[in-house]
Formats: sequence, C-alpha cells, structure tokens
Amino acid sequence: MKKSVKTEAHYQPKPKWYTRFIPQRIKQRWGRWLNKRIPPNKQVALTHKSIFILPSGFGIAWFMLIGVLYLFGTNYQNNLVIGLSLLLASLLHTCIIYSYKNLAGLTLTSQTPPETQANQSIAFPVTLTSKAKPDNKHTSHQQICLNFAEQRHVRLTDIGESSQSSITFTPQERGRFNPGRIKVSSNFPLGLFRTWSYVDLDIHHIIYAEPKTSQVSLTSLDDDNSSEFEHGKLQSGVDDYKGLKTYVEGESLKQVAWKQWAQGRGMLTKEFAQPEGKPVWLSLDDTDGNSLEQKLSKLAWQVNVLSQGQQVFGLALKQQVIEQNSGEIHRKQCQQLIALYGKKITDATVETGVNDEK
Amino acid sequence: MKSNDSFSQTAQAKNDKKLFIEQDNFNENIGRNTLFWLLMTNALVLFPLYQDATLWSIGICGICFVWRVGIYFGKVAAPPKLLVTSLAVGAAATLALVAKEIGMLNALVNLLLLGYALKYIEMRQIRDVKVVVLVGYFLIAFALLERQSILDTIQLLFVCLVNTCVLISVYQHSSRKINLSFGFKLFLQSLPLALLLFVVFPRLPPLWLAPSMKNATTGLSDEVSLGDISKLTRSPSLAFRVGFDNETNNTDKLQLVPNEQLYWRALVMENYDGTTWKQSNFRKNEQRISYGPLPKRKLPHTIEQSNPYNYQVITEPTYQKWLFGLDQSFTNTEQVAELNDFRLFSLRNIDQRFSYRVTSYPNSSLELSLPPIAKRINLTLPKETNPKTQALAQQFAKDYPLPRDRINAMMGYFAEQPYFYTLSPPPIGANQVDDFLFDNKAGFCSHYASALVFMARSSGIPARMVAGYQGGEYNPKAGYYSIYQYMAHAWTEVWLEGQGWVRFDPTAMIAPNRILDGFDAMFAGQDSYLQDSPFTSLRFKEIPWLNNIRLQLASLDFYWSVWVLSFDEERQQQVLSELLGEVNSSKIIVLMIISFSIIALIIAYFAGVFTVRPKQDPIIKRYNLICTKLAKKGYSRNTMPPQAFATFMHHTVSEQQPQLAEDFNKMTEHFIALQYQQLSDKQIEQHQILFKRYFRKVKMSL
Repeated sequence: MKKSVKTEAHYQPKPKWYTRFIPQRIKQRWGRWLNKRIPPNKQVALTHKSIFILPSGFGIAWFMLIGVLYLFGTNYQNNLVIGLSLLLASLLHTCIIYSYKNLAGLTLTSQTPPETQANQSIAFPVTLTSKAKPDNKHTSHQQICLNFAEQRHVRLTDIGESSQSSITFTPQERGRFNPGRIKVSSNFPLGLFRTWSYVDLDIHHIIYAEPKTSQVSLTSLDDDNSSEFEHGKLQSGVDDYKGLKTYVEGESLKQVAWKQWAQGRGMLTKEFAQPEGKPVWLSLDDTDGNSLEQKLSKLAWQVNVLSQGQQVFGLALKQQVIEQNSGEIHRKQCQQLIALYGKKITDATVETGVNDEK
Repeated sequence: MKSNDSFSQTAQAKNDKKLFIEQDNFNENIGRNTLFWLLMTNALVLFPLYQDATLWSIGICGICFVWRVGIYFGKVAAPPKLLVTSLAVGAAATLALVAKEIGMLNALVNLLLLGYALKYIEMRQIRDVKVVVLVGYFLIAFALLERQSILDTIQLLFVCLVNTCVLISVYQHSSRKINLSFGFKLFLQSLPLALLLFVVFPRLPPLWLAPSMKNATTGLSDEVSLGDISKLTRSPSLAFRVGFDNETNNTDKLQLVPNEQLYWRALVMENYDGTTWKQSNFRKNEQRISYGPLPKRKLPHTIEQSNPYNYQVITEPTYQKWLFGLDQSFTNTEQVAELNDFRLFSLRNIDQRFSYRVTSYPNSSLELSLPPIAKRINLTLPKETNPKTQALAQQFAKDYPLPRDRINAMMGYFAEQPYFYTLSPPPIGANQVDDFLFDNKAGFCSHYASALVFMARSSGIPARMVAGYQGGEYNPKAGYYSIYQYMAHAWTEVWLEGQGWVRFDPTAMIAPNRILDGFDAMFAGQDSYLQDSPFTSLRFKEIPWLNNIRLQLASLDFYWSVWVLSFDEERQQQVLSELLGEVNSSKIIVLMIISFSIIALIIAYFAGVFTVRPKQDPIIKRYNLICTKLAKKGYSRNTMPPQAFATFMHHTVSEQQPQLAEDFNKMTEHFIALQYQQLSDKQIEQHQILFKRYFRKVKMSL
C-alpha cells in the first residue's frame, strides 16, 4: 500500500548514492549478520563486538599528509619533518583507541514512544547511560550522533552520566512500525575515524490513524445482526441535561456553565446523564468517506472526542469489535484497532537500509 | 476537544522545533571555540615563517588575520567570495612572476602561506577548517626545515598541539582549557610510539633533488678579497661542529687532536687577478659536472691510510654548497661529492643544519702527479703587478734552486722580517702584495697566504690559496669542537715534486699562537668577534661558572644534532643493535608488535577503556543482600517497594521472630531515609551508622 506522504516540511537526508548499487541480497545478508551480532533488545550496551571503526575521509587525507611529510622529510633529509610525520601517524593510532572508547560502554535503553498519528514526525525517546567517571572530562562520551537509517540525526555533545534524547523519524502511515536500527556514530576526538554501531532497540510502535474532524455519529448496534440498525442516529449533545455541580479543577472548560458564572454563582459544571437506553457504537460501515483511510481517520477522531467526553462507546470495524467501555485504556485499544485495520500483522517492514527481517 | 487538539499540535510543533535545534548538520557551523583556536593557530603557524615570506605575503597574511579577528568579535562580515578569489589569483600570479627571483621553494612557501591566509578568512564550514589544519601541519614542516634547535622544536611542537586543538574543539564542546589539556594528553600519549617509529622506521636516501631555500649566504664566499676574512673574524656565530669518534666515544672526553692539525678545507682559490682570489673556472666546471655521476676520489695507498680520523661534521646552514673537512677527506654521505681539489661538495644548498660523516687520512699525499692544466693555472699571475715581490721571488729562485728549500726560505723570510699580525691592517693600494710586503708589513692570514702564493708562483712553484677554518673550541662536556665564523682562515698550498700538495701556513711563522692554541689565544674577543655582537653567549667565556653552563647547553645541542637531527641509517643500526643484539627483521617485527600493544594498552588505560561500571552503592548492596537472604527463607520481596516489604515482613515474621521484624523495620527506615530523602551531611552520617548497625543485627539473626 503506497501512499504519497507529504514531507516537504520535514528534512529527510537523501540515501547515499552508492546504496542503490548494493544488491538486495547482500543487504539482507548484512541485516541477518547484524541480527546475530547485535541482537535486538530493549537495552543494548556497546562493546567491541558491536562497534565498527573506519577512517573517515579526513582520516584518509591525514594519511596522505603523513606520506607527503615523510617524502618531504626524506628529500630534505630532515629528521624533524620525518619525526613530525611519525608523530601524526602515532596520533592516528591514539585516536583509534579514543574513538573506540567514545562508544564503548555506552548503554542505550529504549523508552516507550509517545502516541503518534500518521503523517506526523515520530520521536523515539532513548536513554543513554555511560559508565565513565563523571569527574574526568576526557573520558566521557562526546559528540554522539543518533539516527535511523536515512533519517535526520540528533547530536549529543556530552552524555555525562546519562542523557535523554529523541530520535526522529519522518512521518509514516498508520499501522505497526519498526523504525529499524539506530545508527550510533561519532567522529570524536579528531574526526580521523568514524566509529559507529547499529543498535536495534526492539521498537515496535503502532502509529494511529490521522484523526480527521467530522461529526460524531453513533449508531445503535444490534448484537445479532451487525448490519441492521433499529435505532436512528443519536447526535452528540442531545444527552439529557441532569443539573449543575460545582466545578472541579481539571474538568473540561467546555462544560462549565458560563451563564451561571456570569451571574456570579461561581464556577459550575453542567452535568449530563450517561446516555441511557441502547448502547452506542462507532461503526466503520456507517462512517462517510471517500476511502477507507478517510473513514478510519474520521473514526479515530471520534474515538478521541468520545473518550474526552468520557462516553461509553464500542467500536465495530466489520468483524472486529471492541465492546463498549470508556476510559483511556479503551481509547488506546480502539485506536490500535483502527491503526491496524486492514494491515497484515507481520507488516513490520520499513524501507531502511538496515532493518531486521522477522 | 478542539482546544485540546490545537494544544497537542502546538506542543508537537514546539517539540519539532526543539528537535530542530538539536539536529544540526555536522558540516555547517564553526563553533566559537574553534574560531578562537583558529586565531591562535594562524598567528603561531605564520610567525616562525616570517623570514621566508615576502613583504607582500606578510601584508596579506596580516590583513587576513585582522579580518578574522574582526569576524571573531563580530565587527565585520565574512569577505565576499569574489574578493577572496581575485586576491588569491592575483597573489599566485605575482608569485609565479617572482618565483625565479626568490627561488622555487620560497615561492612555494609563499604560495602556501597565502593560500593558508586566504582560505582562513573565507572559511565557512568544518570542511574548510580541516583543510586549514592540514595545511597548517605542512607549514609547520616548512618551518622545521630552517628551525631545528631544541627550543625551536619545542616551540613548533606546541604549534602542532594548538593546531590539533582546532580539531579537538570541533568534536569536543568544552572549555578551551579542557580542549588544550585533552590535546596535550593526546600528544603525550602519542609521543612514545612516535619515538619508537623514529628509531625503527627506515631512513631512505633523498628520492629526488628537491629545490632548496634561497637566502643570504653566510660564512666564507668563493671570492676572497684581502679584507673579507677580517670581516668574518667579527662574527661570533657558529659555522659547524665536529665530533671525532675517538673523542666523543671516550668517557673522559679528552682532547686528542691537536689544534694545529685542524685545518678545515672549504675552498681552493687558484685564480688571482691582482685584487681578489677566486676559484678557477676549471674547478667550477668540476663542481658542475658532479651533478652527473657523483665524483669520488681514489682512496690513498694503504700505507698512507694510517691514523685516520673518523668524524661527524654538523654544519649550520650556509646557503652555499661547500663543506668542510680535514685533508684528505672521504665521505659516504649521500649527495656529497669528493672533488679533485680535495674538497667536499654538497649537491644541494646547505639550507638547513646538515650532518655528514668524514674519514680523513692526514698522512696521505695529495695529487702526486699534477695535470698540465692544473700546473698552468697554479703558475699564472697577473702580468706586470707587484714588481718588487716578483724581484724578491727571483732572488729566492736564484738562492734556492730546490723548490722545497725555496719555500722554506720564503717562510723563514716572514719570521725574520718584522711582520705584524693584526685583524685591522692599514689599507693597501693597487699593488696589493708589494704594499703589504714592503710598506705595511702588517696583515692577517689572507695577506700572508696571498703573498706566499704570489712569491711561489713567480719563482716557478705551483701554489694556491686555500680558504677554510682553523682550530676549534673544544667542548669537554661532550667531546666535540665548535668552529665559529671568526676562526675563518686562509693558508697556502704548494705543489712539490714527489710530495704533491703540501700545506704551508705563513701565519704560523708570524703568530704561532694562532695556530697552536687557536684564535682565542691570540686575540681578545672584545677586539674581534664580540665587537659587533653585544648579545652572544660567547661573552660568558670570561666567567668560569657561566662558561660551564654555556658548554653544558652547547653539548646538549650537540647531542640533539647528533642523535636527532642527523639520526641516519648508521645510527639506527647502532641503536637497534644495542637494543636487540644482532639486528634482523623478525626481531624488529617482534619488538614492534610488543611495544605497539604495550603502548596501546597504556593509552587505552588512560582513555578509560577499562573503567569498570561504578560499584553499586554499598547501602543498596547491603539491602539487596538482606533481601536475597530473606527470599531464601521464603519471604520474597518481588516488586514490593521497601516500605511495603517492611510492612509485609512485620506482619509475617513478628510472631515468630519479633526481634528480626523490629530490626528489619528499623533498617528499612534508615534505608529509605538514605535513598529517598534530602539529607544534610551530618544526617547522612547518622543514618549510615544506624543502617549498618541494624544491617548487622538482621544479618546475625538470619
């Protein structure tokens, strides 16, 4: 299911030009190898097993400088210039250790991501903890970049003992979403080496359908025959007005009886009776819309509104039904059902370079 | 609902914005710390090169630096790209035009300097910073060509460090002090491996003849007018140093070579036009063709090879090509030719301290059979000059038919007549030798040498003037000789049948002290080399303890020159064989691997690779210990918080073991206090004591 997602407002780095020359089979094999080497986990500590080091472009330029200086020193038979080139070479060696150390010992822990809707940037919160001594400024983890493949990176200048960060992902469509592996990288200390690791924090996120404002349309649903409606539609707001009660902080301002407040009777809330009679249902069949997505979006909005109003409602998406209930957990269940409607359960594929195959 | 929705949207937007600030492209902005370090580096890298820069380059570098300072303080904007480009093109074009004049290498240095300065003002990205840093290292290398003393090396090492700090500041967002100390740490940890590589890494001969620096020449010149050497006697600067193997390797550093043996040949002057002595074109030609196959002289007969001198000469830059050696000198050093007039000749300009090894055979004879062309050259005199001297020479020829006797008589003549040795002789007219020999009767080495050659030639004996240095100041701390410019000397060489060229030094007849005990025995420094140089360490010669320090420092510099600056393949073999015994490649590989891993381990230790996770808080550890012990007894804590667990324990255990329940309750109380409450130091101490007490009690009862 391809849907063009408008991403103009979001920055998305282009994939590297050479990635398209790598055949899919090799990518898959690479993914499998990574899964074996750095298995997905909620908490991953970086060790020598999971850290890769290669000279950066600048490191190669540095190599060339060493060569040129050595030649220069040889031609002029100048030992100090040769010494300088050897010192720079030795610095390279020192830097390998420091760049390795900059990632080694870093522990990444995934946090539950906040609720996200389709077509909205996703932020995956991650906690980074270090075992470095806090008093030694030189041994802490510095300039750590975090990003998902081909996604914008977050740079943390200094981890300290522990740090929080959110790694973003460009908007996705609704459904299950696995952002793949996080690339943890750093160029510390001199930019001569690039140290990196691909960490899979075993993130399985459900992206809710994008809510679309519509009218709340509740249906009475016959338990025996789901397609038959005995009762007419009940518009929201026609609930019976029960009376006034004193306002309790945190209650919706919408329900404050402003007229009475203006009369100087203090903050009062209009109290509505729970709808009586037949229970109310949100039903996919009964939602207007041009496409399934639009219908689902409208349902998602309605679920939010009804939950906000603490109403009891049930959700019926064809054969999948959630019994009437109210409250936050109920809302989440409903949203998840909407999000996953029509999606295969195994649909966890993400178009990233390093994703895990399951 | 709507309000809530819009709120969540704004929150999302805010969140996005926050993320946006966090997310920056690595290659975009140059941090302020980096800018500061760049300013420092720029000044430090350019300063040691001021001598090589043309006035124009200095000007442009200065403007760029001031501009950059302006950018740093936010007073001016970055210059437009067009301006920088046109400046760069203009500067390169000008340099290309004057390249011939100032020399290729100087032009290259200037080009790099300008590129460095201009790149420096138009820097926008981290990429540019990296380019500037790399060029900075190259400029430091250029500076090292000319500045090789210990102090200069330390200074330039510091410049390297600051240059590296630029990179550190890109990747380490800390204060400048931390940047610097981290850079220092990196350097310090890199030094051992660098030293090891320095010792082990192969030294190659120069791969091609690289252009050399052009600069004002110092020391002797290849044309000697009679006044020239007296100018040199005013100079207290070091010309070269010599370490004889038998002296430097001696533990007591006794001087073994007598002063009168130390005639350092540098130039041979065979052409006299009545005013100046010059190298003959014949010899100049020989110099020129030495760029083809390197000329080497034939070793003397084995009998003549007795008592050789093996020594190392370290010459200061002269920006000339002749080298110094005792007769008869042979060398194995690359790019050093042995010429037929017994000189050593370097193929490249000596534009930096240069070291070469020489073997001299003092007992060997020089050129037993003189080629006709050399004979002709060495008998030629300008016509109709110095008639009185010519007449005197004819007289000698008549009185002493044998050349050997005649020369000795001429030498004797200088001793008998009231000649006077002085560094400031009265002026001489058109007939130089006549004026000197018969009117002034006062002069210094080149006057006497010139007069003797003139007399010898006009009496029919081939003779020539040799210029060089005589003597040397022996440093007993390290066992080497320092030869200063003021020791410049000129003497005569006479060709005798069956003996070859024989050295005759008329100065020895007039001022024997000059030759036997050196220049300083003859003249007071104040009258000669100290006259024009008020600030030279040679002034300390008068004060014993200061002189002692001077000699110590000088010997330090000598060791530096020998062991670092002229650390060549031979020294390398020497050091390696001392370390490893017999040197072979497998031993070297093993040495490298072992020291490599040791160094890596040490660096890793200091980098904090082995830091273990900080130990668990002892309080928590103790509490957990009790919990596991309780769990073994069947009272599992599971996920209960401490308070709840204590209550649970109280309910379950109080009947059977009331003491334990009580103690555990107390222990938990203090544990909670220590873990979750804000306490003063004193309170913490109290709670800790009580916690430990109850911990022990609980542990005992379990």
